[in-house]
Amino acid sequence: MTTKDIGPKNAVQKGAEGTIDYVDERTGVKTGTRWFLFRNIPAGTSWFQTLGFTAMVVFGMQAITGIILAMYYVPDTRGGAYESIQRITEEVTWGWLVRGMHKWGASVMIIIVFLHMARVFIWGAYKYPRELTWVTGAMLLLLTMFMGLTGYLLVWDQKAYWATVVAVNIFASAPIVGPYIGDILRAGPEFGPSTLSRFYSIHMLVIPAGIATFIGLHLYFIVRLGISEPPWSKRRLRIERDEEDARRKAARERAKELPGAVNYPATWPAKAEEAAR
Amino acid sequence: MKPADKRAYDKDYANAKKTGKPFFPYAIFKDTIIAGLTVVSIIVLAIVVKVEVGEPVNPATTDFVPRPEWYFYFAFELLKIFANQDVLTPVIMATFMVPNIMIILLVVWPFIDRGPERRIWKRPFAMGLVVIVTGMLCYLTYLGAQTPAGVAKGGLPVSGLDEEATKGMAVYIANGCGSCHMVAGVGAPGPGPDLTNEGAKGWDNAKMVAWLKAPKAPMPSYASLSPADLEALATFVNGLGTKYK
Ligand code: HEC
Ligand code: HEM
Repeated sequence: MTTKDIGPKNAVQKGAEGTIDYVDERTGVKTGTRWFLFRNIPAGTSWFQTLGFTAMVVFGMQAITGIILAMYYVPDTRGGAYESIQRITEEVTWGWLVRGMHKWGASVMIIIVFLHMARVFIWGAYKYPRELTWVTGAMLLLLTMFMGLTGYLLVWDQKAYWATVVAVNIFASAPIVGPYIGDILRAGPEFGPSTLSRFYSIHMLVIPAGIATFIGLHLYFIVRLGISEPPWSKRRLRIERDEEDARRKAARERAKELPGAVNYPATWPAKAEEAAR
Repeated sequence: MKPADKRAYDKDYANAKKTGKPFFPYAIFKDTIIAGLTVVSIIVLAIVVKVEVGEPVNPATTDFVPRPEWYFYFAFELLKIFANQDVLTPVIMATFMVPNIMIILLVVWPFIDRGPERRIWKRPFAMGLVVIVTGMLCYLTYLGAQTPAGVAKGGLPVSGLDEEATKGMAVYIANGCGSCHMVAGVGAPGPGPDLTNEGAKGWDNAKMVAWLKAPKAPMPSYASLSPADLEALATFVNGLGTKYK
């Protein structure tokens, strides 16, 4: 599959093409990328269909800003957590910006994911064959909310602490399993040092891994099944108009074929329409 | 969906794809614009509304209303709505039944609504549901945002307080009890019960202190208060409606 050169090529270009071909022969990335990028989607996809991609980009941004924050954050309640947040906000270069983006990003992501879900619901895009795309999406919504819950505590100031006490207590007040969920989240009956490290590990390892997995599945389904068409796309409207016309025409034909049935009520609309033409 | 409907859809979609456009650049173009605008807005928000460092954690006091992040306001408000009714063990309704029913419905929705119709104006029930659920979530979130910030800062309209009870009332106010309880019409109407007549239950201080140390969720534990504060608080709460009115 080497390229057939016409005329001399410079060595760098040749080397690059050679490398790409070498990798493609063994992995199929070039073919795969081309298939992914140039596969057809229905014409007239709408602006509303950008929200899923946007949620993905915001998640990526949260991952990057989160990694930077983790470089400075110390999950220690006995002098560390609060102080490291203070340092990030007041001393670290651009620290306030990274923290601000992570904090705002969390709220924005929840809003975007909700809007994306509303678009999918309103369009009926969850119907056959995309049911499982919806189910993986629902998991993503829940995981995103959990991300917000576990992240808020890490700031370890009064507001964050009490907000999380209340939120965890909401879970803990569920019957039967509630107290266990509470104990698992808190790492014991009380909020304390282990609670913070537990939240930290859930927030930066467990849930992100879950979100990444479900985004992978979600995307696999989307690419495999194709993105749905807006219910009001030009093509659909044309088909519906044609169907409607065909139906009316058939009704008119039927009306003509019934000679004695001039006053047969079922034919009146068709007759009226004909008269109007 | 019936098999015939499925085949009709597959055929129709294959047609849409055949007469469609390539993903790159048409879809990517719109995606990039909206995602780019979103990221820029996040950066602008981060610059304009700077993050703050609040006060360090002190489990012994809450001098403001403890409440969750805004995206859990709706759960908190649900709790309040159900907390004041004694039917169907209210807290269970709010924290277990309602959210779980909502989550299960969310996950299995595509298996409930399986008709082939996708046009918006032909699915009035689904659209009604969107409006009702979204409206409810917005309204509950709005209610959550409305909860007065410093409930009962200036004291409670209760008279007849002795020295110990005055101290107890200060502890009550300092710890944000008023964000979940009401005394003589001051404070939040839930999720905790109205404490105006708490004294009528006739608990002794030991029982009250034990409750404050290990209450039933969602009330937080106040085990980290000093024994003197707990005692004063217990005296105050146990006298409400009887000694102190
Ligand atoms: C996060 C909200 C919340 C806060 C803050 C809170 N409580 Fe409660 N409280 C509750 C709930 C909910 C109950 C009902 C629990 C149950 O019985 O299941 C309750 C129950 C009680 C009861 C028992 C009432 C009864 O008649 O059974 C007392 C007494 C009480 N709280 C006192 C306090 C005091 C004093 C404070 C402040 C130190 C306080 N609470 C702070 C939510 C709260
Ligand atoms: C982290 C959260 C999420 C990410 C990153 C994400 C990503 C995406 C992307 C990139 C698409 C392609 C089309 C588009 O952008 O609209 C998509 C489509 C879809 N999403 Fe999501 N999504 C998320 C959450 C959800 C949720 C909460 C649901 C519903 C419960 C959902 C259900 C669907 C469905 C059914 C489709 C197919 C729609 C179609 O083909 O028209 N997704 N998602």
